[in-house]
Amino acid sequence: MTTNADILSQLMEILRPFTKEGHQLREDTKLVAELGLDSLQVMQMLLKIEDHFDISIPLNNLPTIQTVQELVHEIEALVKA
Amino acid sequence: MPCAPDNIMMATPTNNSLPLKSGDFPTLSVALDYAGAGHTGCNFYSGRGKLTHTLSYTDLREQAQRLARRLNGLALPRGSRMALVADTTPDFLRFFFACQYAGLIPVPLPISLHLGGHEAYVTQLRRLIQNCQASLAMAPEGFEPFLEEASSGLNLALVGGPEVFASLDETQNSLCPLASHELAYIQYTSGSTRWPRGVEVTQAAVMTNLSGIIRNGLQVRSGDRCVSWLPFYHDMGLVGFVLGPIASQLSVDYLSTRDFAMRPRSWLSLMTKSRATISFSPSFGYELCVRRLGEDAKEQYDLSTWRIAGVGAETIRADSLLRFAKALKPNGFTAQSFVACYGMAECSLAITFAPLSKGLAVDRVDGDWLSDKQEARPLPTSLTKTDLQETRCSKFVNCGTPLPGYEVQIRNPDGHVLGERESGTIFVRGASIMRGYFNDPKLTSEVLSSEGWLNTGDIGYWINNSLVVIGRSKDLIIINGRNIWPQDLEFLAEQQSEIRPGDSSAFSVSDPDREELAIMVIQCRESNEEKREQLVNRLRSLVFSELSIPCHIELIPPRTLPRTSSGKLSRSRAKADFLKRVRWEELALLSKTHT
Repeated sequence: MTTNADILSQLMEILRPFTKEGHQLREDTKLVAELGLDSLQVMQMLLKIEDHFDISIPLNNLPTIQTVQELVHEIEALVKA
Repeated sequence: MPCAPDNIMMATPTNNSLPLKSGDFPTLSVALDYAGAGHTGCNFYSGRGKLTHTLSYTDLREQAQRLARRLNGLALPRGSRMALVADTTPDFLRFFFACQYAGLIPVPLPISLHLGGHEAYVTQLRRLIQNCQASLAMAPEGFEPFLEEASSGLNLALVGGPEVFASLDETQNSLCPLASHELAYIQYTSGSTRWPRGVEVTQAAVMTNLSGIIRNGLQVRSGDRCVSWLPFYHDMGLVGFVLGPIASQLSVDYLSTRDFAMRPRSWLSLMTKSRATISFSPSFGYELCVRRLGEDAKEQYDLSTWRIAGVGAETIRADSLLRFAKALKPNGFTAQSFVACYGMAECSLAITFAPLSKGLAVDRVDGDWLSDKQEARPLPTSLTKTDLQETRCSKFVNCGTPLPGYEVQIRNPDGHVLGERESGTIFVRGASIMRGYFNDPKLTSEVLSSEGWLNTGDIGYWINNSLVVIGRSKDLIIINGRNIWPQDLEFLAEQQSEIRPGDSSAFSVSDPDREELAIMVIQCRESNEEKREQLVNRLRSLVFSELSIPCHIELIPPRTLPRTSSGKLSRSRAKADFLKRVRWEELALLSKTHT
C-alpha cells in the first residue's frame, strides 16, 4: 500500500531534476509559477510521473493542480483507483 | 457511441471502394456525403499506441446528421455559433459536421494543457465565447465544468457535454446544410489571448484551399494515409488533417497533442504501424522527436512509406530537420520527403507548397546585407569556414510556389511591389481568403483591402516564382510552436504598480542554437535593488502561470525605449537595441538559465 508520504518522497525525487539549484522543494511549492517549468518540461515531468506510478493523469485535471501537495493527492487518487 | 470491444476493433482501411475525388466539392457537408459512401474514416490512438476509437466516414455522416436534427429542434437562427472545445476525440468531428448539416457555425476552442492554469483557461474560454457570441457550447467529458464556469451569465441556449446534446429530441424536418456562400467555421488562431480574432472562413474559401492542397500541394493518390497529432483547434490540425482527409476520402490516424508532447516517439510508432504516407508538423515537432530518440529502440521504426513530411506553421529551421532525417535514415526516412509550406488561418490554411520529393531548398544569404539593404544577397557556395565567420550567414527555407488561384506580392513599406530577392511584406489575394474577422470591421479593414489584398504581416522575398519566408508576423513570438503575442506579455507587465502603459516592450530573440527566447525590456523608475529584483521575479512567475513560457526580463532607465517617428513604441528597434547590448555568448547563457 502506497501511502501519501511514500508518494510525496517519490515525487520529490522525480521533481529534483526539474528544480533549479538552491531551490528548496516544499509541499506548497507551486509547480509552474515557482519552479518555472515551461509547457514541454511539464510534459516531461508528467511522463516521468505517469511511468513511475503507472497511472494516466486525465487532461481535465491538469488545470486545477498547482502545488506539489495537489499533485500528490491526484497521484494518490489514481493509484488507488 | 459505437465502440466495439478492443479485441475486434480494427482501424479503417487505407484502400477505398470509391474513386478518389480531390476536394472537388461545393461545401464540407457534400464532401462528407461523398466520403461517407466509402470505407475510409478516422482512428484515435492512445499515447501508448492502443487504438481507442474508430469512426468511419459512413458513421460520421449518419451520426452527424442525426445530431443535426437534434440541434435543429432548438430552433436557433441560421448561422448561430456553436463553440466546441476541441479535444482530439470522435465527438469533435460529430459536432463539427452536425453544425454543417444544421446550418450552424462551429467555432473550435482550445483545450488547456497547462498545469495549474484553471483561472487563465476559464478566462480565455469566456473571452472566446463572448467574442463569437455563441448560442451553444460543447466540451468533451471532464471539461464541462470549465465551460459552464466560462459561460455562466452569458445566456447561451445550451451548454454541456456531448450527452446533453444527444438527449435532445430529433426533429423530422429535412436538413438544410450550410451552402457554399455561407461560413464553414470561425477559427481563433495566432491571435492574442486577450484580444482574440475570429477568422471567418466561407465554405467556398475552404473548399478552394482544400482542392489546391489535395490536388497540387500533396497530389493525393490512392494508397495515401494520414497521421496527425496537431490540435483540432489549429488551422493545420483542423483544415489540414480533419477536413483535408474527408475532402480526399483518406483514412487518418490521430494521436492527441498531449500524448505527442509527452511521448514524441509515439508519432513515429504510429507512422510505422499504420504505414502512413502523409504527416505534418511545425519544425519544433521534429526537433522534439529527435531529441527524445533513444539509441536503444530505433530499429522498431519503419518510416519508408512516409512520402510527405510537411513542415509549416512557424519559421522553418532546416538544421534541426536535417538532424531528424539523419537520425532516422536507417529507418527508411528520406530528407527528400520534407515539404516546406507557408500559410495561415486567414487564408483557410495554405498559400504556398514546395515541390514534392525534392526535400528542403535552403537559401544562404548575407544576413547583414539583408538587415541593412532589405536584399537577400546569396552567399557563394564556395565560402570557407573563416569567410563565414566574417559574414553573418542567414539560412532560409524556400517555401515553394503559390497554389493556383493566388496572387502574391511582396511590397516595401511605401506599398511598392518588389522584385526578385528584395525583402518586404507578403500580400496575398485569392478565393481562399477569409471574409474578415468576426464582428470586427476595424481590425478586418486593417489587414484586408477593399480590392481583396490580405496583408499577412509576414516578411519574405522571391527566388524565381518561389517564396522564401524570413519571419512570421514581425512581432509574433513563437516558443515551442505556440504563438505568443507581445501585447499579452506587455499587458502583464503593465498590471504591476511600478510599471505604466507604454513602459514595456516584448519580443523574441534566437539564441545560437536558433531556439527562441522571449525577452521583455521594461522602463523602470525604481532604484532600490531589492525591489527591482522582486519586480522581475514577480513578473517572471506571472508570465509562467499565464502563458507557460520562460521570459527574460530586463529593466532599463525611463525614457530609453525607442519610438517610431509617430511616437509609437517600436518593438523591432527595442530588439535591435537589446541585441547590441547583449553579446552572442551571453545570449546562449541567458537561454540556458531560463530553460
